[in-house]
Amino acid sequence: MSTKELKERIELLQGTLDLLVLRTLLLGPVHGHAIAKAIEFKSDEVLQVEQGSLYPALHRLIKRQWISVQEGVSENNRRAKFYRLTAKGRRQLALETSKWDKLAGAIARVLRPAKQGGKS
Amino acid sequence: MSRRKRMLEELDQDIRDHIERETQDNIDRGMPTEEARYAAMRKFGNVTRVKEDTREVWSFVWLEQLWQDIHFGLRMLRKSPGFAAVAILTLALGIGANTAIFSLIDAVMLRSLPVEKPSELVLLKWSARNAPNIHGYMTAGDCPTDLRPGAANPSGCSFSEPLFREVAQANVFSATAAFATSGRLNLTGNGPATVINGQLVSGDFFRTMGLKASAGRLFDPADDTPSAAPVAVLNYGYWQSAFGGSRDVVGHTIELNSVPFTIIGIAEQRFTGITPGSDYDVWLPLSDAQRMTDPMRWQNRSGDASNWWLTIIGRLKPGTQVARAQAVVSGLFRNETLHGSVPLFHAGDPVGPPMPGQGAPAGGGVQFRREMLSGGAPAPAGGKGPTVVPAPSQSGGNKPFILPAPQGAPPADRQSAPEMSSGPKTLSTVADSPQVTLVPAQTGLTGARTRYSNPLYVLMLAVGIILMIACANVAGLILARAAARQKEMAVRLALGAGRARVVRQLLTESVMLSVLGGMLGILFAYWGAHAIISFVSSNQTRPLGFATGVDLRVLGFTVAISLLTGILFGIAPTFRSARVDLTPALKEGERSAPSSGHAGGKWFSIGNALVVTQVALAIVVLVGAGLLVRTLQNLRSIDVGFDSHNVLIFGIDPTQIGYKGPQVDAFYRDLQGRLSEIPGVKSASYSMGPLLSGGLMITMFHWPGSPQDQSSEADTLPVGPNFFETLHIPFLSGRGFSASDFKLSASNSEATPTSAPTPVIVNQAFVEKYLGKEYPLGKRFGQSARDANGPASPGYEIIGLVRDAKYSDLRREIHPMMYMPQSAGGASFELRTAADPQSILPAVREVIAQVNANLPLFDVKTESEQIDRLLFQERLVARLSGFFGLLALVLACVGLYGLLSYEVSRRTREIGIRMALGARPESVLKLVLRQGVMLAIIGAAVGIGVALGVTRYLASMLYNVHANDPVTMIAVAILLMLVALAACYVPARRAMRVDPMVALRYE
Repeated sequence: MSTKELKERIELLQGTLDLLVLRTLLLGPVHGHAIAKAIEFKSDEVLQVEQGSLYPALHRLIKRQWISVQEGVSENNRRAKFYRLTAKGRRQLALETSKWDKLAGAIARVLRPAKQGGKS
Repeated sequence: MSRRKRMLEELDQDIRDHIERETQDNIDRGMPTEEARYAAMRKFGNVTRVKEDTREVWSFVWLEQLWQDIHFGLRMLRKSPGFAAVAILTLALGIGANTAIFSLIDAVMLRSLPVEKPSELVLLKWSARNAPNIHGYMTAGDCPTDLRPGAANPSGCSFSEPLFREVAQANVFSATAAFATSGRLNLTGNGPATVINGQLVSGDFFRTMGLKASAGRLFDPADDTPSAAPVAVLNYGYWQSAFGGSRDVVGHTIELNSVPFTIIGIAEQRFTGITPGSDYDVWLPLSDAQRMTDPMRWQNRSGDASNWWLTIIGRLKPGTQVARAQAVVSGLFRNETLHGSVPLFHAGDPVGPPMPGQGAPAGGGVQFRREMLSGGAPAPAGGKGPTVVPAPSQSGGNKPFILPAPQGAPPADRQSAPEMSSGPKTLSTVADSPQVTLVPAQTGLTGARTRYSNPLYVLMLAVGIILMIACANVAGLILARAAARQKEMAVRLALGAGRARVVRQLLTESVMLSVLGGMLGILFAYWGAHAIISFVSSNQTRPLGFATGVDLRVLGFTVAISLLTGILFGIAPTFRSARVDLTPALKEGERSAPSSGHAGGKWFSIGNALVVTQVALAIVVLVGAGLLVRTLQNLRSIDVGFDSHNVLIFGIDPTQIGYKGPQVDAFYRDLQGRLSEIPGVKSASYSMGPLLSGGLMITMFHWPGSPQDQSSEADTLPVGPNFFETLHIPFLSGRGFSASDFKLSASNSEATPTSAPTPVIVNQAFVEKYLGKEYPLGKRFGQSARDANGPASPGYEIIGLVRDAKYSDLRREIHPMMYMPQSAGGASFELRTAADPQSILPAVREVIAQVNANLPLFDVKTESEQIDRLLFQERLVARLSGFFGLLALVLACVGLYGLLSYEVSRRTREIGIRMALGARPESVLKLVLRQGVMLAIIGAAVGIGVALGVTRYLASMLYNVHANDPVTMIAVAILLMLVALAACYVPARRAMRVDPMVALRYE
């Protein structure tokens, strides 16, 4: 599927999939396949997500009540499950995002003297 | 739950939709349909694992998988019932044996004292450089005591009553208690007269222990005053058995040694005595000791600082440091013993020459006198001091473990109430530095523990080894199975099972085995502990003073052992299974898989190593058991020097109901006559104590011709008329005691002895040591002049010589011994019967009731029973270790059998090829046997090497057999080889019968 070379793909860090899913849902309710597509597309297909691993993540988020699920009809008129960010999930996303920024910034500062740049 | 169900129900559909969408996307991008679907699947990943992971989110998955694992594990076990049965049984035996022995150890060695906050209680122990200059010392064996004549650094835990009062008043402890045995008490006023065991305790005793009454009340300090009315507190168990647990007993009056006591209460059920293993029927206040007739010279003891007879326990005040309390108590002790009116210890100033001791004019050493154990009556007074060395006695009849302790420093039995009097001791010019240390009561009060500890630790070692064998056995089984299941594991991994999941599956299986084994083991332990206890109880008249049973702590211990075992032996093979290299395992046939490749060869040899280990361990246990069994045989076949068959013995003590001096002798003579007239009784006699009862009396005397300051000693037993004829001890020369001999002996034990020597009969060892070739009859010895310590003593004259006979116990060498005519004191009667001695017992009781209905018999048994009881510890240890030895042997051979069976089934094809190529069945048989026999030989060699190194730790328990006895070693090795051969033969025969056609077609 991916048009990028294999070596440029990066395995997802532990736990970051949840964050990406929440971020994707910020734009509005979507179904599972669309979430996977969105993450792939937005990351320039650098992030290698085994699509199956999305489902345990979705269920984890539902259990924590950060997202909710509702039946709906997809763009091609098929029944599908739509996942929607809850208020709790929104707060969590803000929290996790700032945490992530701090982490990324800190790591970047540590790495900068040795090596400039790198994909965000 | 329902939410979880709903979420998961739709998961399949969701995943299908997802893949369909992805496929559609791919098709849209121009891929062929088939390829598009493949790409979508690849992109999605492992569907099963996604489902599993998702389910795991809903968290019950862990349990669900466990359930699956258990289900699957059970199915696997059912599929190979032989493996399962052997593994579970092996574990159950190992765990059961350990739990049973640990229950006993827990009950005897570890259980905390049956009182409130036992950690606050401390025991006072004294120690010094030299023995104290005191004239009375009594111990009931609550703690180890060393007071042998001339012993360096003696120590003990008996103190004088004045010291106790001082400590109690010094306010060092929040409560202080003292106690001592009352000895045997003659109880009347509750049916027929009986003999019970009592303990004298200070008024604060029960408060110090923090105990409550089950009924009525316990003592308070006011009960322990000379003016208080005599009162008694009963043991709960005794109350139940003797009074049927009736509450009306409170306020009831009983007579103890003819003194009326009012029962004021019943102690708590859990409390049978503070010292481990002690079991007193009744507690009496200290002050009442003097009221009873005085078999142990209690009179004037209370104010006497040089009569040490009380064990003292203090309860530490909260926040008090032990060191501070110890300094105070030690100060009191030093003050009393060094600066009292008569210094009991030497403070360090130089002293003059040794003074002659009482009754042993030239004997400078500390002189002992201990009461004959069963009689409880004083030894003849007046100059000659017969000395009873504190030997553990079973006079109470309820002490199963009689440890024939080294002469001099054994834990004296509580009923024995040995008393020691010492003359002036050898003086030294070095300070004695007496001091008191406070030790935790939990560890300080050893009591019967000391006697139980050695055999229990030996048995624990044996069962520990058995557990190791069992684990090795099961580990071997699981290894073999893991090898056989390699293909299954490879398939599972290839189908996408996580390695962790496979490891977990295998771990679950092995833990399941151990849990099943543990459960069965608890059952075995329950049976085992009961069997041991009933064996112990069969040896005594009263229940064991230790509460036993499989309790919760022991259960925890068992569960821990079984789980640990499961995890330990489960983990090694599982990691290997999970590391299987898939391709070769899948390609090759299941049967040949383990033998090919490195892993197979390596683990195959580990299986061998496990079997060698098992055999070696089994040999160690077997050698130990063999040595202990031979010890028992040796002790049983000892020539005791008298005829122990068809002899009935029983104790009787008329002094407890007021008989005195000549009345006692007349009573015995009368009874002797009546008893010998009973049909079936061939002859009757009596002595101060029965032979081979553990009791021992030693007399110290001066032998003419030896240096003045040197004292000689001989074992001593006062006997009645016809003693030698009754016990069949043959005379070698001289004559037995005549009526005038008895009169003379009686008058010599008065305060003013006659000038005629007391006639004595000596044994061969006596002649050998003291007389050599000199003619023994008429020889006089032991005379002493009157001195500060007593009147002149006429000494002894030898009138007869008898054959050597064992006296106190079987292990003790026969020492020089003298028999003298008995006068006064308690006695043990011996009746020589024509048939079974038990059958005449009713007639005996009748005769005694005719003479005096208030006189109870005690310690009624046959001489053979007496010997059996003496050998009780040896019998118990030999029986149990023999059983454990056989168990170890069987387990090791099961291991060998298992390994070979597995080998044979693994090599079926190879054997088939060999036979197809013309190998004879015998050579195939040899092929298999050779491996088994080699393993057994190596194991046996290693085991004997180890046994040579460790059996010396058993040396103290052995008799007449060397710790490295070659006969035992060889016998054990031969036994093992025979059983091993049998174990090898079964799989070897199976190999021999392999049909080459079937074997080759098999794959």
